[in-house]
Amino acid sequence: MGDKEQGHFVAFHHVGKIYSTGTTALADVHFGIGEGDFVSFLGPSGCGKSTALRMVAGLEEASSGSVLVGGKEPKRVIRESNDIAFVFQEANLLPWRTVLDNVILPLELRGGSMKEHRTEAKRVLEMVGLKDYMKAYPRQLSGGMKMRVSIARALAAKPKLLLMDEPFAALDEITRQTLQMELLDIWRREKMTVLFVTHNVFEAVLLSSRIAVMSARPGRLSTMIDVELPYPRTLAMRTDRSFGEYVDRASSYLEHGSLRKELG
Amino acid sequence: MSVSTAETIQAGTLEPEVKKRKADWRQTFVHYYLGPIIAFVVVTALWQLVPSWLGMKPFIFPKPTDVLEAAVQDWSILWEAVRITVVESVIGFLLSAIIGIGVSVLLASSLILERSIYPYAIILQTIPVVAVAPLVVIWFGAGYNSIVAIAFLIGFFPVISNTLMGLNSVDRSMDELFTLYHSSKWQKMWKLRLPAAMPYMMTGLKISCTLSIVGAIVGEYVAGIGGGKGGLGYAITIAAVQMKTPFLFACGIAAAILGITFYLVVSLISNRILGSWHESAMK
Ligand SMILES: Nc1ncnc2c1ncn2[C@@H]1O[C@H](COP(=O)(O)OP(=O)(O)OP(=O)(O)O)[C@@H](O)[C@H]1O
Ligand SMILES: [Mg+2]
Repeated sequence: MGDKEQGHFVAFHHVGKIYSTGTTALADVHFGIGEGDFVSFLGPSGCGKSTALRMVAGLEEASSGSVLVGGKEPKRVIRESNDIAFVFQEANLLPWRTVLDNVILPLELRGGSMKEHRTEAKRVLEMVGLKDYMKAYPRQLSGGMKMRVSIARALAAKPKLLLMDEPFAALDEITRQTLQMELLDIWRREKMTVLFVTHNVFEAVLLSSRIAVMSARPGRLSTMIDVELPYPRTLAMRTDRSFGEYVDRASSYLEHGSLRKELG
Repeated sequence: MSVSTAETIQAGTLEPEVKKRKADWRQTFVHYYLGPIIAFVVVTALWQLVPSWLGMKPFIFPKPTDVLEAAVQDWSILWEAVRITVVESVIGFLLSAIIGIGVSVLLASSLILERSIYPYAIILQTIPVVAVAPLVVIWFGAGYNSIVAIAFLIGFFPVISNTLMGLNSVDRSMDELFTLYHSSKWQKMWKLRLPAAMPYMMTGLKISCTLSIVGAIVGEYVAGIGGGKGGLGYAITIAAVQMKTPFLFACGIAAAILGITFYLVVSLISNRILGSWHESAMK
């Protein structure tokens, strides 16, 4: 202990993960994330991005080392608060609940006044632009709208840490771009820490303040890239020279990782 | 931030809509109903004609008109028998629904319980109810109790196996979502697993409602009592002994109509429950 990672909001401390099948998903991942950061996990398929994220949510145990959120074990954080929220790749809405009732769910499970919950749910629905669809059922929504509801549900409990596992991967390009910008807006407004999994280099550079580039087999952290592009970011920035440089740098680490793998 | 997706829920004016619906109805009638109606008329006509051509006696093979005549003649007996069978099978069905769902929830809430008990439930299920019916009569005596018990037994297992399958069908990430919000085991049961199991449960109930009528009739065969307390099964036994074959046919047809009606009623209720909120009911 006495490690400098102690001061970090999310700290990976020499984390290893070996699944019961014998797959080594992560090996000696060691880094920290500051409060208020927007960090992307970028890496090829199977490099353990989801595994790392699920560990932060306490859905997976580390085989060695430890993951701490605010100095506490994730499981404990979840037991004590709604500080950690998770957005899955699929929207994962309950089909028998209306949009509003889906968003209320996290608050409802903790108990308390339903009236206050409803007010809060309406606030976040407004934030994602779905106030007019409160009474709709998930099957009446498009894929992009469903994902918005899923994000609203995650925001409803005012989390300090928002975990997102390829949330936009199943959406079309236009919808994805809109949601990317909305997410950045919300992140800046709500002052959360976001951990965002993606295998899209452009997405990582566009959104993140820091990028954790990972390499596969076994999953390791290749490097951390600080993206010093100013916020608010815009889609137009993608043509900037500095944007291109970040993309090149991240890509070269990705290739480097896979090159190392091929050389054995 | 505004919604970029403009979703038009209502489209088109009313006028052509109505015309279209009329045409639609004609289409569905031709496609789905015309065939069965013709088949029914043809089969009934053949049934009426063939026995007379072959010179069959009504007590060997009655014609539709014989059956109708017998039904009208002994209407009060038939009606009373139907009424009794309905009561028996509905009580049996309700018991199998309530106890079946209750036991499933209990089993599903504990992995150890489910693992140790469910295999025996499967084995029990394979024992034909007809084989244990006499045992039920020994335990409960002749009459209502035994008949209801048999109707219950036969409808019980479809409810359990379907409900359990449904309770265990929950998506892994949905389950994790509830875990992340630190839901209790019972919250997960009430707010996630039971609603998710609804379509499966309804399938089980649809199977068991028709089976409960079979159970009630079988029950009446082995445990039926007379004196104005006999149901369709009892009436069938008596009709067979007295060689009142047309009336036997009437009873059989009444049982079939009963089964179909019961199934339709349960389907209707299930669609009502599922329809508003569940995708699987939209198919
Ligand atoms: N529950 C599990 N049991 C066994 N092995 C697993 C499990 N989950 C993941 N793995 C393995 O661990 C490795 C990392 O998986 P993970 O899902 O974390 O990768 P990923 O980077 O998220 O990939 P993708 O981009 O395809 O989602 C893979 O080799 C995968 O097969
Ligand atoms: Mg993944």
